Amino acid sequence: MSPWKALKIAKRVLFWCLLFLVMAVVLFPIYWMLITSVKEPLEYATRNPSWFPHHITFEHYREIWKEEAYRYLLNTVLVAFGSTLLSLGVAFPAAYGLARFRFPAKFDLIFLLWVLLVRMAPPVVLAIPLYTTLQSFGLLNRLTGLVIAYQIYTLPYSIWMLLRFVRDVPMEVEEAAAIDGASRLRTLTAIVLPLVGPGLVATAIFSVIMTWNEFIYALLFLRRPEVFTLPIHIAHFITEYEVLWGPLMAIGIMSSLPILILSGYVQKHLLRGFAISFK
Amino acid sequence: MRRFRRWRRKYSYFLFLLPALILIVFLTVYPLVRVFYLSFYRYNPIRRVERFAGFANYLRLFSDRFFLTGLKNTFLFSVGATVTEVLLGLGLALLFNVKFRGRKLLLPLVIFPMMFSTMVICAIWRSMYHYDYGIFNYALRSLGFEPVKWLINKDLALWSVVLVDIWQWTPMAFLILLAGLQSIPGELYEAARVDGATGARLFRHVTLPLLRNHIFLALLLRSIDTFKIFDKVYALTGGGPGTATETISFYIYRQGFTYFNMGRASAAAVVMFLAVSAVSLLYIRQVWRGEK
Repeated sequence: MSPWKALKIAKRVLFWCLLFLVMAVVLFPIYWMLITSVKEPLEYATRNPSWFPHHITFEHYREIWKEEAYRYLLNTVLVAFGSTLLSLGVAFPAAYGLARFRFPAKFDLIFLLWVLLVRMAPPVVLAIPLYTTLQSFGLLNRLTGLVIAYQIYTLPYSIWMLLRFVRDVPMEVEEAAAIDGASRLRTLTAIVLPLVGPGLVATAIFSVIMTWNEFIYALLFLRRPEVFTLPIHIAHFITEYEVLWGPLMAIGIMSSLPILILSGYVQKHLLRGFAISFK
Repeated sequence: MRRFRRWRRKYSYFLFLLPALILIVFLTVYPLVRVFYLSFYRYNPIRRVERFAGFANYLRLFSDRFFLTGLKNTFLFSVGATVTEVLLGLGLALLFNVKFRGRKLLLPLVIFPMMFSTMVICAIWRSMYHYDYGIFNYALRSLGFEPVKWLINKDLALWSVVLVDIWQWTPMAFLILLAGLQSIPGELYEAARVDGATGARLFRHVTLPLLRNHIFLALLLRSIDTFKIFDKVYALTGGGPGTATETISFYIYRQGFTYFNMGRASAAAVVMFLAVSAVSLLYIRQVWRGEK
């Protein structure tokens, strides 16, 4: 065998070894969560935890169901969908206005950049005044209050995402509609809306993922267990019970599954989604 | 009346923006003004204290050991996590820039970690870090090493938290850099090869210069994000042991929502906002150029 070929084979082996290592590091914690959720306590609360579960049990899943963890699930669904709907409803016309009109004094550009700055700002900075504002409106410990607070995340994000999608709609389509006598509002709902449909769906999915996983505002603005969302429930669980890992991991899986399924639909938008305004 | 009509027709497009504008002002402009105002007051809603304090909150802040430690830890966390994530992300991107069988299948799996809720991730890692029952120490013990106090040792705890962030967010740097690699036209490599460049030189003189903007962007976005670190500290260490994992966000949270020392918390919030904005402006400048 020529040294040239040997080098090529060695390179290949190295490549696959590296790839295997990477995948192992990425997937191991997830694997660990999965198997811990179906292990019996004796197999995880021990100095010699097993690498593979010997007995598979669904006891922990039954347990969290009995303890009504689905209420936190329901709260999370309500908050995530509520914030997303509100955001899209407000952001879509805004994105349309920003994409199609020139505002005086560069107001559109200033607005967009301000919104971007806000999205970068640490959420805890706004938390103190928001807390007192929500309190004075009687919205503390209310899912509605959280839906409003979440607009700080979802609105800037949706405006930027939708702006790109609206800009992709060719102007001529709208002009044709205008010539046919359609009003602005009608053009918006009957022509533009269907064309940005897929973009709206992608934006909605990212917004759901973002709010589904959000932690700090939920922690600060929801203090009563009836209104907890899943991340808050998990946080309490982690800090209160040191090694009750079976049910904890079962809740973890239950709360991640919907998000993982949704994320499958937005693979090709991932980059746009997580690094807004990046092309 | 006629003038009003003309005005109305001219500016009616403002209506599209109006609901968003109202929400943004209500949720961001007003609170920011308020937090700035509060930072000059002694304000405790529980004890019903509210009186003007000048710069006292700021002066106190910079003699507060907790705040200063928080500042230092946040800086260490942010730099440590960002640099590692971008380097590993670059390695991963180079790995996945190679065409191999199963690439389409593995790509979504690599991105998995950033989809999970941070709390779920903290639950997993806390169980793996556990001193007695954790899998890491079990592995170390069976290989004949001493077990490690991952979250209890005050010199190590911060880096254990960094490690979790690296696991969760390297995929983000990876995505940005992979997009960068794929935007480099193949002809450039061919041309360089014809000129006799191979391997490391190809990387050094073709890939890196063309990837510069993407690396910059990844560094920027990750450093802004890591600077806000709160949830991992809350769930993994609670700021401890001692002040070993105290961060600025955590400091604001505790001053504001545990001690209800809203004045000082606001002062810290203003300082933090200015610091993050300074870095954000670099990013915004780039976007501004793109918009023009």
